[in-house]
Order: sequence, then structure tokens, then C-alpha cells
Amino acid sequence: MREVLEGSHAVSEAVRLAKVQVISAYPITPQTHIVEALAQFCAEGSMDARFICVESEHSAMAAVIGASTGGARTFTATSSHGLALMHELLHWASGARLPIVMAEVNRALGPGWNIWMDQSDSLAQRDTGWIQLYCEDGQEVMDTTLQAFRLAEIVNLPVMVVLDAFFLSHTYEPVDVPEQELVDRFLPPFVPKIRLDTNNPFALYQMAPPSVYMEMRHDIQMAMEQVEPLFKEIEDEFGSIFGRKYGAADGVDCEDADIILVLAGTAASTCRQVISELRERGEKVGMVKLKMFRPFPKALFRSLLGNAKKVAVIDRNYSFGATGIFAQEIRAALYNHTNRPPVFGYITGLGGRDVTPEILEEIFKMTKERVTPEAESVWVGLNKHLNEMQPDPDKQ
Amino acid sequence: MSSEQTISRKIPLYISRSEITTEVNKTGSWRFARPGYDEKTAPCSRICPAGEDIARIEMLASRGLFQNAWETILLENPLPAVCGRVCFHTCESACNRQELDQSLAIHQVERFIGDMAIREAFPVSELVQRDYRNNSTSEKRIAVVGAGPAGVAAAWFLALMGYGCDIFEAEDEPGGVLRWGIPAYRLPANILQNEISRIKKLDVNICCNSKITETFIENAKEKYDAVFIGCGYGRSFTMGIAGEHMASDGLSFLRDLRKQTEACANYSKCAVIGGGNTAIDVARSLVRIGASPVLIYRRRQQDMPAFTHEVEMALEEGVQFVELFTPVSIEENKGGYLLKLQKMKMAGIKGRDGRERVVPDGNNGDTMQVSRVFTAIGAEPEEPWYNLPEENEELLRLSHCVFWNQELPVIFGGDLTTPRKSVADAIASGKQAAMALDTLFYEGADAIEGRINGCRVGTGSALSMEVYLAGQRKGRNPHTVLFQEINIDYFLPAQRQSPLTAPPERRVDNFDEVEQTLDEESVTAETLRCFNCGICNDCDNCRLFCPEVAIAPDKKRSINLDYCKGCGICVVECPRNAMSLEEEKI
Repeated sequence: MREVLEGSHAVSEAVRLAKVQVISAYPITPQTHIVEALAQFCAEGSMDARFICVESEHSAMAAVIGASTGGARTFTATSSHGLALMHELLHWASGARLPIVMAEVNRALGPGWNIWMDQSDSLAQRDTGWIQLYCEDGQEVMDTTLQAFRLAEIVNLPVMVVLDAFFLSHTYEPVDVPEQELVDRFLPPFVPKIRLDTNNPFALYQMAPPSVYMEMRHDIQMAMEQVEPLFKEIEDEFGSIFGRKYGAADGVDCEDADIILVLAGTAASTCRQVISELRERGEKVGMVKLKMFRPFPKALFRSLLGNAKKVAVIDRNYSFGATGIFAQEIRAALYNHTNRPPVFGYITGLGGRDVTPEILEEIFKMTKERVTPEAESVWVGLNKHLNEMQPDPDKQ
Repeated sequence: MSSEQTISRKIPLYISRSEITTEVNKTGSWRFARPGYDEKTAPCSRICPAGEDIARIEMLASRGLFQNAWETILLENPLPAVCGRVCFHTCESACNRQELDQSLAIHQVERFIGDMAIREAFPVSELVQRDYRNNSTSEKRIAVVGAGPAGVAAAWFLALMGYGCDIFEAEDEPGGVLRWGIPAYRLPANILQNEISRIKKLDVNICCNSKITETFIENAKEKYDAVFIGCGYGRSFTMGIAGEHMASDGLSFLRDLRKQTEACANYSKCAVIGGGNTAIDVARSLVRIGASPVLIYRRRQQDMPAFTHEVEMALEEGVQFVELFTPVSIEENKGGYLLKLQKMKMAGIKGRDGRERVVPDGNNGDTMQVSRVFTAIGAEPEEPWYNLPEENEELLRLSHCVFWNQELPVIFGGDLTTPRKSVADAIASGKQAAMALDTLFYEGADAIEGRINGCRVGTGSALSMEVYLAGQRKGRNPHTVLFQEINIDYFLPAQRQSPLTAPPERRVDNFDEVEQTLDEESVTAETLRCFNCGICNDCDNCRLFCPEVAIAPDKKRSINLDYCKGCGICVVECPRNAMSLEEEKI
């Protein structure tokens, strides 16, 4: 049934439809609406789940780790500093091979205090062994949350479903809410492969000496390598029931494009508009919406970008002392490839600043005008005047 | 088989997993601090003159184990239904709970338990049958002078320890001040009679209408091995003013009311001189027989030795207060009396008793026309020989008693020797006397002070008979639990339970009890508010929180030191400071 839903509530509805058994979360803007609705569902009985209130995100992750080890389908949600506080346990969740699903609302980290959209929080967790899926709109975040449980429970790895602060979390859109019966067909009850059983006690996750640790880590990578093909199959099955598909990466007009823009999240919708206008003006331009960031779908990107003359990557994040993180990943993916277009890195839209059609058009223009990139990262839309307003330390 | 299942089968899942026990890893070897069960002293029981084990009483009552709770009281105080009504419950002023919301209504719980014991006729056999003396019985017999709270308590504790007792009472019924001094609206006669009749079951004889003479004491050594004198203050102080013979003694008035020999004539406006509990009792009784009492006190209202709660009740009932006035003469006038009063003022300096002195305020005075004048300014022993002998080396002064070690040992107790004149202190003196005599007979006079000192509740002056008799309370740590040591994460604010109280207009024409006893539901709710400071109530937190599962779930909790790492989580999560962490001795 089509409903007008806030992005956050699209996540909450998906969690209810997934019949999650244990939820634990600590509120943080802009994630709050997700767990607020879930707490309401549990309280009113429209959802048969245990909602565990905790005093921090670290404990929220610990609680779902415990519940998942006990064999329950689990969910949590967080954002920014909350995710940073979970860091230690994110490693545990993946190392323990637990199929936990988390909604992660992309928000900047302080200081200066900033509650708005920025990809730095989730990308700072790229090496924790979590699958990361970035979403563009309310429908996608609902569908992806449902798919995430299916995916996680097959590969025994945790999944982070990522959505933009406010641009998606607090925006109302028409969303097709699937029927419970159909969801049940797509997502059967969780049958855990790892489950502690008090009637048959055994120990889990104890000391792993040098003789076995490396094999365990290798197994995580082996599982990661199955994610992309498996996700495709899951999407196919989802599509056969619900008629929607998104892909690990979504290429638009890439086949004959000279310049391809790469970006993730809600800005992809803006970009779709921009490239269709540029195409009308005769520009040979395409775009790739990056959805799956971990595992990084290298082969897919090589085939999407390999024939372009230039690639422009738009990062709403930054790795200080290096470059934008998406640009790094794409450069690494293309480096050993024969068809290797130059990668132009652009930094924009940090801390909630709008990525407008004008900015995207300017990025296209800058890329088109230069043969080689001006710098590894070009910061677009900086207000130089602001720096001049800084107090002079000598005068204080 | 779908392709998805094919992939599923290829997912490698190598993790640490073991079917063998981890018991071989004795994590106890990491320990440098050792937790342990360490029951401590609750502030309420430390301050209670009778040293009742309040934290435990509340815990037992909260589980509906009212008879066990009652027995626990009776080990320290033979009169719960009386004390639940008339005690000034200083325990509640020390209650840690008041830092969170309000103190626990300890006296209301005690009253409920005492009343239930009367209603359901709880037997004392369980208490009596306990073998406190390892099969040895005493042939010794004690004479107790006075059947007031001190004498009754002394006989009760002596009888519990196997001594034969005879109580001699001058009046025709036992109870002393409880029977004749405290009005029925505070303590109904049937409650007192039930409490006192209980001690008769312990082979105690109460001989009424038996006023003791000095000669009796001289001859008592033929029949008795010791005498306890707890005869109270029977003679009221005089004011030393002109026309004093026209004033009535307040204590006698109260006694006559209870004996129903008071004429209850129409007194209209009466003057009551004094500021203690007796003055308040006289004034409130006068209200009930239709008079309009005016209480005249030489200091200010806030300086009155009467309990604040009683003062408030008197005000509610319409007693008028005239403060900073003292009578100078009484004259017959117009069929009544003219009372001349001198205005007083605070002197700004403290007297020998530590209270601020009052002095006459120049020549300012006043007069008051009344139908009667009652005095209630204090009392003293009725007979001179009730007084303590001169200081000599045979005299041992204890906190609530004086022990005179002569051929026939004599112990003075009750009002004669207690630092504060209250029912609970009188009971404390009876208990202390019983301990002193028992020690005398078994270990000799030199052991008395040391033995009594070893029975103190915490670091306070209250004594515990259970400790004296080497009961389970003996092992308690004397440290008194502070509010800061309670883990208040485990306690939600909860309203203190209040009894139904008759409104002033419904109580001014009768001697019915003003406050009702709480019902069982309210008592249970109230006892669940108790922090149970310092004692284990089997909440099981220590076991549930132990990360090493080193605490056995059996009834008697124990810590398996082979695995206890000494993390101290059990001690922190104990809501009531019944555990301690000590540095491991290497």
C-alpha cells in the first residue's frame, strides 16, 4: 500500500515487517525518529519484539550482539558520534559473524557541533567488516532494510543500511509499504547458524591464537566476496515479488559517456536531473550511483567506468591528509585495469551543505575543461571570505 | 536447490568455538581485591534505643513473614504494639530513605506487626524454645520493682534467659506510665493488656497492689538473687508559688481519667502549666471532656520537650498556647481561680542543661481567669530510697542503668537512670539490666562493662539482646550504612504510606484512637520502600552481575574464589551495601 512516509519511518516499517525480535538503541539526532517509532510499535504490541533501553550506543551494540548470539533477529540504529562510540563492538559483530542489521543516518562529527548530512561517520567504519549499503530515497531505504536481513543471515556478516541525515531521514515521500504476507515469503524466520544454547553449553569467541586467527579473518573476506553476487540474486527475487531493483551500483547513460559522475545518497537524485539536462544540451555525460560500498564492487565499477574518458567522483566526506574516500576506492579499483580513465576528485556538501544542480554542473564543467585533474581533491563551493573573518591570533 | 542455497553452502564460517569447559582457567589467580558478604548496621537500628533490627524486620514483613518479623522485634523489645503507637520513633529521623523521598514509616509497620500478633495470637513458644544457654538452666530468681516498661522489659529478657521473675506493682494493674499516664486515644488499654499478658507466659509473676517498702528490699536476699528497681517518677514537681495547693497534679488527673474516677465536671477554661508530653496529654484530654485548655509555657513553643507530632495534634484540636509566661500565684476568684502570670524573655545565654535560659521580662505580667489549674512540669521518684545511693566503688554506672554490687545486687533502671525519659529508653534500661545480671551470674561483675560494650548496635549506645545471645546478628560490621553507600539506581521514589487519621472535629469528644493501624497492603508497600541498609535480602544482584559466574545460586550465597577475579561488580551492584571489597592479602 502506498503511504506518505518519513524516511526514518520507512526504516521503522521495514523493521516491523522483518519481524525483528530484539531491538536495542540509544537516541541521537537524526536517528531518533527510527527508534522512537519502533519503541512505540513494541509498546503498543504491533510488534512482538524486546526493546532494550541502554545508556549508550556502545551498550546498544553490545545488547544486539548478545541477542544475536542467542539466535534472535536483531536491529539497531545510530548516527555520527553514536556510531563512533560503537566502533570497538562493530569489529566484534563482524568477527563474531553475527547478522545484525543497523540503520546508519549519515551525519557529521563535531566539533564544530553539526547534526547535518555528511558521510564521514560511516566511512570511518569501512574497515570494521560490515557490509555498507547507501540509499537514495524512502522506497530504497525500506526495500534495502528488508534485503539486508536476508543478506546478513546468509553470509553471517552485519549490514549497515546508510541514509542521509534530514535529506532522507526527515523527508516525507510516497513509499510503497509491502504486504506482510509477501515480506514473509521473501524473508522467512531467522534460522541461526550460530546460537548459544543453555541446554547444550559451549564456549564461543574465546582466545584465537596466531595459529588460527588468520584463517578466521580470511573466512570473513571469503564471505565478503560472496556478497555482491548474492545481493544480485536477492534483488532478483525481491524484484520478482515487489517489482523493484536498485543494483550494487546504478549506472545511467554510461555506455557512451565521455565523463561519468560518481556519487552516493540523495545527491544521486539531483544528479539524475542534471545529467538529463546536460544530455539534452548534447553533452556525453553519465553517472553511477554508488550503493554498495563494502564489499566494494570493483568489477562492476571497472565495467561501468572503463570506457569513459574522465571520471568525476563527488565525496561528501574527507580523509584528512589524503583525499575523498569514494575517490580513493575508485582509483584503487581502476589502477590495475587496462582501461583506466583519470579520476577527478571533488569535495562538496560536507556538514549538511546542499549539493545543488549548479554545483554538479560546475563539477562537470571543471572536469570537461581540464585534461588532467587540477589536484587530487578539489573543494567545491568554499566561501573564502569566511576564512578572512577569523580573528587574528596576534591581536588577542 | 536454488542458487542462493548453493552460495549459502559456500559461506565459510570459522570462529572460535569450544565444547570443552573453561573451568581450567582459574581466573581467581588474577585477583588483587576480594569481595565478600559483609552485613553492616542500619542507621535506624543504631539510633533506636531498643536497638531493633529494623532493616531485617522490614525485609521479613515485605515477604509477608509477619510472625518472623514479630519474633525479631521481640528479641529486642517486648512491646511492639505499644511502641508502634507511643514511641517517638527517632529511627525515622535517621532513615537513609529520607534523602531520596521520605523516611520509612517504621513505627506504623511495627504497630501493624504488634496488632497482628495480638489478633492472631502469635505464640511465644518459638522464642522460648530457642536454646540460648546451651542446656544450662538457672535457679536464680529476680525481684522486679514496678510493672512499667522498664520492669516489664527487664523481666521479659531475664525470663527469656531462663530466670524466674516476680514483678511487684503498687497499682491494681500493670503498665505504669503506659497504663496511667498515656491517654487512651494514644494507647488503648486492651493493647497494653495483651502485650503485658504475653510475658506471663514466660513464667513471670506480676503481683499488683504490692507497694514495695525499704524493709522488703532488706529481706529480699532470702528469696531473691537480685533486685531491679524501675519504679519511675511518681511524684510531680511543685512550682513553689502562692496558692499552689489549689492547682491539680496533671499526672493524677490522667490517672483518674483512666480509672474513670475523674468527675468530668464542666471546667470551661483551664490552665495547663508545662511544655512536656504530660502537659500535652493533659491538655488534649481536657479538650475531650469538653474543657478549653490553655497551655502556659515559660519558654517558646519550639523549645517544648514534648514530641512535635503531639504538639501539632494539640493545636489541631484547639488547645491554646501561651508561650513565654510563668505563673506567680493562684487566687480564688469568682468561683474559679485567678492566675497571675509573669512575662519571660529569652536570656540569650545557655543554662547548665544546654538550653537557652529564660528570665523575667521586667514587670510585665498578665492575669487569666480559669476554672482549674493543672501542673505538669516534671516528676521525681516517689520514695527517697528509690534514689541512687551516694557515689561508691560498688556502683557501676551504665548508659541506662546503675548497678549496685552488694550482697544482694540491685540495679536501678527506667526513669531513675535513663538519659532521656521515654518508653523506648525504659525498655533499653530493662534490657541492659538483664544483660548485666546474667553476666554477673555467669562471668562476674568485672565482666559486665566489657560484655555490654560488645553488644552495641554499630557504634551507637543501643544494645542488642540477639548479639548478647550470640544470634546471627553478632557478625554484623559496626559500620553504619550511609545514604551515599546505597545504590539508588535500584530504588524508585515511592510515597510514604499514611494511616487513616480522624479529623480534629471527630476526635475532640471521645478517647478513641486518633490514628488507625495501616492495612496489610499498605504495610507491604511500605516495607518494600525500605533500603534494607546493610543486610542481604536475597535480591540476587551479586550473582546475576558476576561476569565469572563465580557466585553459587544456592540459598547461602558463597563466592568461588577459584574464579572470582575481584572485579568488585557484585559489591557495586549490591543495592544496600551488604558486601565489601578488601585488598587481597598476599
